[in-house]
Amino acid sequence: MEEQKVLTGKAQWLVFKRLMRYLVPHKKMVFLALGLLALTVLGDVLGPMLIKTFIDDYLTPGTFPTGPVAGLALGYLFIQVSNVIISYFQLLKFQEAALKIIQQMRIDVFTKVQNLGMRYFDKTPAGSIVSRVTNDTEAIKEMFVSVLIGFIQSAFLIVGVYIAMFFLNVQLALMTLVLLPLLFGIMYLYRKYSSVFYQDLRERLGQLNAKLSESIQGMGMIQAFGQEQRLQDEFNEINDKHWLAGRRNIKLDGLLLRPAIDIVYAFALILLLSYFGITSFSSTVEVGVIYAFVTYVDRFFEPIGQVMQRLSIFQQAIVAASRVFALLDEEDLAPRQENGLGTIGSGKIEFRNVTFSYDGRNDVLKNISFTAEPGQTVALVGHTGSGKSSIINLLMRFYEFTNGDILIDGKSVKSYSARELRSKMGLVLQDPFLFYGTIDSNIRLHNRSMTDRDVRSAAEFVQADRFIEALPAAYGQAVTERGSTFSSGQRQLVAFARTMATDPKILVLDEATANIDTETEVAIQTSLEKMRRGRTTIAIAHRLSTIQDAELILVLHHGEIVERGTHQQLLLKRGLYHKMYLLQNGIVE
Amino acid sequence: MRVFLELGWFFKERKKQYGIGVLMLLAVAFLGVLPPRIIGFVVDEISRGSLTPGFLMKWLGLLGAAAAAMYVLRYAWRQMIFGSSVLLARNLRKQLFDHLTRMSPAFYQKRRVGDLMAHATNDLQAVQQTAGPGVLTLVDSFATGGFVIAAMALTINWKLTLIVLLPMPLMAFLTNYYGKLLHERFHKAQESFSGLNDKTQESISGMKVIKTFGQEQEDIEDFQRLSGKVVEENIRVARVDSLFDPTISAIIGICYFLTIGFGSYFVTRGDMTIGDLVAFTAYLGLLVWPMLAFGWLFNIVERGRASYDRIRSLLAEPVDIDDREKALDERPEGNIVVSIEKFGFPEDERAALRDVHFMLKRGETLGIAGKTGSGKSAILRLLLREFEGYDGEITFGSVPIQDYKKQRLREAIGYVPQDHFLFSTTIAGNIAFAKPDAAMEEVVQAAKLAHIHEDILNFADGYNTVVGERGVSLSGGQKQRISIARALMMQPELLILDDSLSAVDAKTEEAILASLKQTRTGETTIITSHRLSAIQHAHQILVMHEGSIAEIGTHEALLERKGRYYEMYQLQQLEALVEQGGEA
Repeated sequence: MEEQKVLTGKAQWLVFKRLMRYLVPHKKMVFLALGLLALTVLGDVLGPMLIKTFIDDYLTPGTFPTGPVAGLALGYLFIQVSNVIISYFQLLKFQEAALKIIQQMRIDVFTKVQNLGMRYFDKTPAGSIVSRVTNDTEAIKEMFVSVLIGFIQSAFLIVGVYIAMFFLNVQLALMTLVLLPLLFGIMYLYRKYSSVFYQDLRERLGQLNAKLSESIQGMGMIQAFGQEQRLQDEFNEINDKHWLAGRRNIKLDGLLLRPAIDIVYAFALILLLSYFGITSFSSTVEVGVIYAFVTYVDRFFEPIGQVMQRLSIFQQAIVAASRVFALLDEEDLAPRQENGLGTIGSGKIEFRNVTFSYDGRNDVLKNISFTAEPGQTVALVGHTGSGKSSIINLLMRFYEFTNGDILIDGKSVKSYSARELRSKMGLVLQDPFLFYGTIDSNIRLHNRSMTDRDVRSAAEFVQADRFIEALPAAYGQAVTERGSTFSSGQRQLVAFARTMATDPKILVLDEATANIDTETEVAIQTSLEKMRRGRTTIAIAHRLSTIQDAELILVLHHGEIVERGTHQQLLLKRGLYHKMYLLQNGIVE
Repeated sequence: MRVFLELGWFFKERKKQYGIGVLMLLAVAFLGVLPPRIIGFVVDEISRGSLTPGFLMKWLGLLGAAAAAMYVLRYAWRQMIFGSSVLLARNLRKQLFDHLTRMSPAFYQKRRVGDLMAHATNDLQAVQQTAGPGVLTLVDSFATGGFVIAAMALTINWKLTLIVLLPMPLMAFLTNYYGKLLHERFHKAQESFSGLNDKTQESISGMKVIKTFGQEQEDIEDFQRLSGKVVEENIRVARVDSLFDPTISAIIGICYFLTIGFGSYFVTRGDMTIGDLVAFTAYLGLLVWPMLAFGWLFNIVERGRASYDRIRSLLAEPVDIDDREKALDERPEGNIVVSIEKFGFPEDERAALRDVHFMLKRGETLGIAGKTGSGKSAILRLLLREFEGYDGEITFGSVPIQDYKKQRLREAIGYVPQDHFLFSTTIAGNIAFAKPDAAMEEVVQAAKLAHIHEDILNFADGYNTVVGERGVSLSGGQKQRISIARALMMQPELLILDDSLSAVDAKTEEAILASLKQTRTGETTIITSHRLSAIQHAHQILVMHEGSIAEIGTHEALLERKGRYYEMYQLQQLEALVEQGGEA
């Protein structure tokens, strides 16, 4: 349950105004829908008028000339039929507009998310970002569809009905104006109390669910410490409070919602009948006019109750919108590239005095300098938290750095265009992430220019073709969420193929052999060797055996390079690398 | 409609409220018939020009009185019926919670949190809907509909009533048909929405891959496509959804047309008056709601039944670990003897433990070493009576643990689990979890023993700092130490540390072990650990391997054996060296 922010009236108004700005691009459709709405209201108002004419001019005197009566009947039917058709399209257009608006908002939020830096993803749970993109926007849609449209409809209807009433009888219409402040008064009171009571109910429900979910998760502890009774008591207390809040809302609804609207309706009827009754004492009253007024008043009350009941949706939508806007205004953006025209040729990588910190306080990299010549492999080893991954994060431009520089072919990594960088550098992650789709779509990704042949040869290159072709649907084999039907080794092979398909100049391997089953390990090792050939490679490796042939091995500890050299050189040093080597081979001295 | 029978026990329990509430509903339905009739009478008098002030006052007075009575009755039945429905939800929720606290870990292993939560939220909501609005629509659609039709037929003209009601079943039929169409389309719309949800989730989880391949733009396009599909599916829904209102108004329009047409005929024939005609049209307006309510009723009842079934089957889950008859009501103490031939976790064919026999003397410390899955935790969980159904016996003070009351057995055991779970309350509240009324000094004392006191003082609100999702985030080591303090608060006869020093650095580990040794002289302690330093001072060490005891003895004896324990020890020495950067 997410915490509900309490917004001030002014903040709510600002959020609402910003929401309304989303209507602008769809103003044509919105105006069309409003026009149709006006037409339906016109029909709603004209219908009783025709019946009124019929009652007064023909029914009361008891004469039925065929022509005019048939005309009225046809007119009435025409209005009914066209109203049905128009109101159908009007309802549809409004919903369409709302859906399009929400789609735009979703795309905006999603685009924003794509442009955020990894730092934002570190501090924000994925679930809450997903919530912003989908659930919150859905709440806003509800507001557009059920509150806003209902509201506009009521407003139009009230105006239309009043115009008709004024047309029929100015005096009585003026008198019925007294209904407006009454209704608005009830609405105001209801909104005032329901925003408090309803909010309270929601908060209690939130507490209730939080307590329940926590208790279920911590049930082992509760039972181990024999606290079942106490937790039951605590839960009951919250449950009771929620119940009381529920009852309070029922009372409020009973006092101010339908029953209250209905009593105002009865009051309106009394007002009408008294007026006509008293008028009839001194002059004649046309029955048709009474009929029309009674019908109008009835129409008029119909939508008001609905709108009031939906006010809470409005409140929730504003809160949801404020969360969506907060994400849209987020400033933790991905590092920017200078969009230079330079291209990466030989793939020489140089770190020059790079110092870096995630939080601005604790340096995770301290003065890192090294050079990977074109085609060479540089391996990074060290304990968890030693800074290996940070080096890769900076090289891949996942995080912005300010101290020192990273050069590729002698030029700062920041100077290349994002496109150049992404197309020339290939990263293979420890946890090979597969997308929902097929094997083919996972190798190709969204690259449309890639032919089937390219996909196949990439798979062959990393020797993934054997297991892929053994699948029932081969390259068309479905990949479920996160590729859970494949072994981690198979997933890694697909990830290799995906990287090779782009034929990068620089290869970055983030513990690519960490979680591999023994079956595929051999295949993976040979593919890795092939992949590295002719490419500058930066590799993090848990298993030292996989990087023994690296031209340079950097041993990191607490963000510093403490040892560097080739495998043989480092072993001779009998330092940290040597100990790690012994540990991994299970050799006890 | 069977759900109303199934909920019969509740209606009986609240028969006064439901009885009075339903009577009130009937009264409201009856009073609702009055206004159109009154309009009719007054119109007749006006059209004849024979209206007198007395007549007008009388009928308008009645109208006013009826309206006032309806307001009171409408308010009151809501309290009676809706009030009862929230009470039902509250009571069921309480029953569910109480039941959940009695379920064993085996139950929680097979049920997911989200699933259990759904019972307490959505399902309860649906049942509440049945007992509240469900009852309302049932009574109202029949009562209001019946009264209005009766009033039309009996007080005005039964022939006109028959003619005019002809299109009404068409409305019920059409709305029902739309409902079915809508259901299917809505289902698809929900699917496309959850597809969008999955897509978003996937993009965020795979953000690194997307960035690596520079596919942000392409991914946005993909999202665009999917969100377009959501729009498409929802427009399909809107196409049906938008049919409801026009259809209803079309049919009402036809009814009005028939009323005016045939009504005029009857009026000119003198079978009815103009006032009757006006009243009749007003009645027509009152019929719309019961027709719609009838459609909703099926919906509410259908959902309510499915939900109530789910709740009942959850409540019917048997409590699998309970006290025996005549269970001992005393806190166990003394030697612990474990003698297990074979044990497997439920729904797992493999044996988690096989031939585990050992004795632990009161006051001594037992260390258990072994890899993940070697059976360390399984032993502890059996001791805690979290699982049953093994061949063999565990005795505590020469009495099988099943013979103690569950509550008393657990009182004697201070358990610090591997996955330290803290509740979202203050630190003091977490430490005093088993003893909520403990004095502050006691809490501080336990915190000092667990060497977390200094850390706590460094937090902004000290012991009153709130932890958990919305509170301060603690490091793994801090959480572990708070869990230890929590267990120490009970002054347990048996303290169990289940790999609960793993995130604590070597020095603190040593200090904690030393203070435990000092304060817990007469009581028993079991420590399991990956890291041998935590158990090397134990009186007895078990080395577990694939569910069996591979080696047993003291640290020195085990080292001398040069077996598994020795190997583990040597490698850990080296590992410690690497962690420290190679310099010993």
